[in-house]
Amino acid sequence: MIVRLKYSKTTEGRFMSHLDLLRTMERVFRRAKLPLAFSQGFNPHPKISFGSALAVGVTSEGEYVDVELTRELPLEQIKESLDVAMPSAVKILEIKKIDTRKQGLMAVINVARYQVEIPMLGSISQAEFDEALTKVWQVPTYQVERRGKRGIRQVDIKQGIFSLVGQVIDDKIKIEMELQTGSKGNVKPEEVVKMIKELCEIPLGENMRIHREGLYIKVDGKLITPMAI
Amino acid sequence: MNRLKDFVEDEILSNVTKPLRYVGNEYNVVKKEWESVKLRTLFAFPDLYEVGMSHLGMRILYHLVNEQKDYLMERVFAPWTDMEQILRERKIPLFSLESYHPIKEFDCIGFTLQYEMSYTNILNMLELGGIPLEAAQRSNDDPLIMAGGPCTCNPEPLADFFDFFVIGEGENVILEVLQTITEHRQKREGKQEKNILLHDLAQIPGVYVPVFYEDKYNEDGSFREIKVEEQGIAPRVVKRTIKDLDESYFPLKPIVPYIEIVHDRIMLEVLRGCTRGCRFCQAGMIYRPVRERSKELLVKQAEELVTTTGYNEISLTSLSTSDHSTVKELVNDLTEKYKEDRIGVSLPSLRVDSFSMDLAKEIQQVRKTGLTFAPEAGTQRLRDVINKGVTEENLMEVTDSAFKAGWSHIKLYFMLGLPTETFEDLDGIVDLAYKVLRKGIDIMKEQKRGRQPKVTISVSSFVPKPHTPFQWEPQDTLEVLQEKQRYIKDKIRDRRIVYNYHDAPLSFLEAVFAKGDRRLGQVLKKAWEGGCKFDSWTEHFQYNVWQQVFEECKYDPQKIAYRRGEFTDNLPWDHLDMGVSKKFLWRERDRAYEAAVTGDCRFNNCSVCGVCQNLDVQLMIRKDEKGR
Repeated sequence: MIVRLKYSKTTEGRFMSHLDLLRTMERVFRRAKLPLAFSQGFNPHPKISFGSALAVGVTSEGEYVDVELTRELPLEQIKESLDVAMPSAVKILEIKKIDTRKQGLMAVINVARYQVEIPMLGSISQAEFDEALTKVWQVPTYQVERRGKRGIRQVDIKQGIFSLVGQVIDDKIKIEMELQTGSKGNVKPEEVVKMIKELCEIPLGENMRIHREGLYIKVDGKLITPMAI
Repeated sequence: MNRLKDFVEDEILSNVTKPLRYVGNEYNVVKKEWESVKLRTLFAFPDLYEVGMSHLGMRILYHLVNEQKDYLMERVFAPWTDMEQILRERKIPLFSLESYHPIKEFDCIGFTLQYEMSYTNILNMLELGGIPLEAAQRSNDDPLIMAGGPCTCNPEPLADFFDFFVIGEGENVILEVLQTITEHRQKREGKQEKNILLHDLAQIPGVYVPVFYEDKYNEDGSFREIKVEEQGIAPRVVKRTIKDLDESYFPLKPIVPYIEIVHDRIMLEVLRGCTRGCRFCQAGMIYRPVRERSKELLVKQAEELVTTTGYNEISLTSLSTSDHSTVKELVNDLTEKYKEDRIGVSLPSLRVDSFSMDLAKEIQQVRKTGLTFAPEAGTQRLRDVINKGVTEENLMEVTDSAFKAGWSHIKLYFMLGLPTETFEDLDGIVDLAYKVLRKGIDIMKEQKRGRQPKVTISVSSFVPKPHTPFQWEPQDTLEVLQEKQRYIKDKIRDRRIVYNYHDAPLSFLEAVFAKGDRRLGQVLKKAWEGGCKFDSWTEHFQYNVWQQVFEECKYDPQKIAYRRGEFTDNLPWDHLDMGVSKKFLWRERDRAYEAAVTGDCRFNNCSVCGVCQNLDVQLMIRKDEKGR
């Protein structure tokens, strides 16, 4: 059977790399005595596939992973044994059995929602901030540099920004953003912040805090969660 | 308290490499209430998290102490240079991983001395914790600073900085030490009177309090003697040994790190000690006698550890695992049992014989990566000198078998600069490498594997170590070591042979700190002040600073490393008794010069090394008990 887990990455969990998480998941399933299925071949590895890698330093309350087991087990039992075996950096939020024929998580997830908190160095009103974001929103394209295997290339991120809402709270601003993710393109919240900094004159500090609220699948303009398909 | 934790997590960790080195909330971590215990202790490992967490001794003591109601033990590692810089800039004291308490707030800090070139990190960690470096400068309110581990068999270079050392195996003695400290404080309403406490601690067998001993030197500056100068203190400290590995504590719920560490697997200790008797090997002398853990217990422990850790590999660790009398049955049982769960079994090193090769074949059914053997020397003559009971025939047999079984990469460990070594012996290293390579070429061609074999020869430099038959031997000079390294390099002309060798100045310093006396403490301090730390990390090793400091301190390191000793010489570690007698060591040294081999006492006569008689212990070989 294949189970889909929705999990969160806590404040300390945000420092785990994707590889750390992969190793941890395998160990968690072993500790939980759940029968992991392995790939065939010369160097078998457990059939664990993640939704979308979370950057180091980012917390999240909406991460997904699909894990294949060799036999059927009640979901409740799986959840209970996982809870005991899970280290404090990761917490299981939901679990569901999924149909093997459906597409893999990586292929379908295409939207990520983030909350970004940034300290302000000066003061700014809500109206001024709204105006600034509108200005950002109206820019037709925005190029960022990406370092790839074939050197540095320019990528337009504007079309990957689906929504941008900001709020001024005391000496901080909080921005909620809906960004493209997945195999067809990926926009990083840091890049959007850089864009805001460059296009508007808002005195923003360093040390931002990024939280991923969730990963979604956008179908016909509507967002559904990976647990709903 | 958690204000520090929050601050570090929010403001600092995003700016350092591998932040999880400093977080410490791993699976199976033990967090005890600070106020709920009578004594708070800290295990300090003077190297990176990834290195320290791979150390079994720390795992044993950490969980053992934390299982006691009255004590807690937390951990701290050397922060990497990026973290250190931020700690200094922000004026944050070095803190423990579990509760984020500044290390200064612990009652007792225990460092482990695993290798000499970690010593500068100890000073750095103390200073980062705001603790006075020298024992004499610490007050009754400062933590007690103690150390254990193999380098305590000559801890004199560190004597100025430590309140006491624990010599030998720590499982039993650590609890006696903590009890003594607790009782001392209870009698004094939590206060400590260090001089009285140290006196009490020194009554525990295996505890060495350096301040009670005085070091003396001759007019020419050479070492004269070290002698107890305090009433009621023993002139010699005898190492502690556990008698039965089945009866001794072993942690069954070890911490599972988030990040990849050096030995990222279950470490199952199958035996302790080694009596093969290699004459250069300190571990083989100071951890005697051989005590095996029974197969029945090992299988049980493995089962438990698989469940509590989730690791997919069980490493059977010891100084020489293929020597365990029931290792074959053990490996059989474990591989069968865990095959389906994809949990592998591994051996850290292999003896050069067909028995070990059979074991390797059994456990490496899937992955055929490199296979490592340690002939240590290039000719039979020199292998006899060092008492390494390996023949060229053995080596050719096992490599033949390895290539035939599908391996294509063979690694060979050698040592350069061994006593009596000539260039003929170096030619022998090169010859062996070529012979193994040619064997590989032939077999792989025959099997039509379409790949080229690879032979790696790793050649380290001989470092004379205390409590070994070679403790009186001079090390080759730097120039000679480097010449020999080049000599081998020039002779390796095949790209399928990879030649690795160590930094010679590092081996020289290792010899100096292994055999040096108490005066080295001030050299160490000055070198650390000059910026030396993480010396065993090539990118941080600053030999020029060390050279300057030796000059400034008017301490000639060559007189330590290059000196040829006599049996009658007093040595800076003579007051520390590792069970093996000096007479035995000297006899072994004589036999080395005759190229005479001394047999392993498990299979031959007792070689009268003195351990069993002196320490009231015995060899514990499990197969004999159960009948064959």
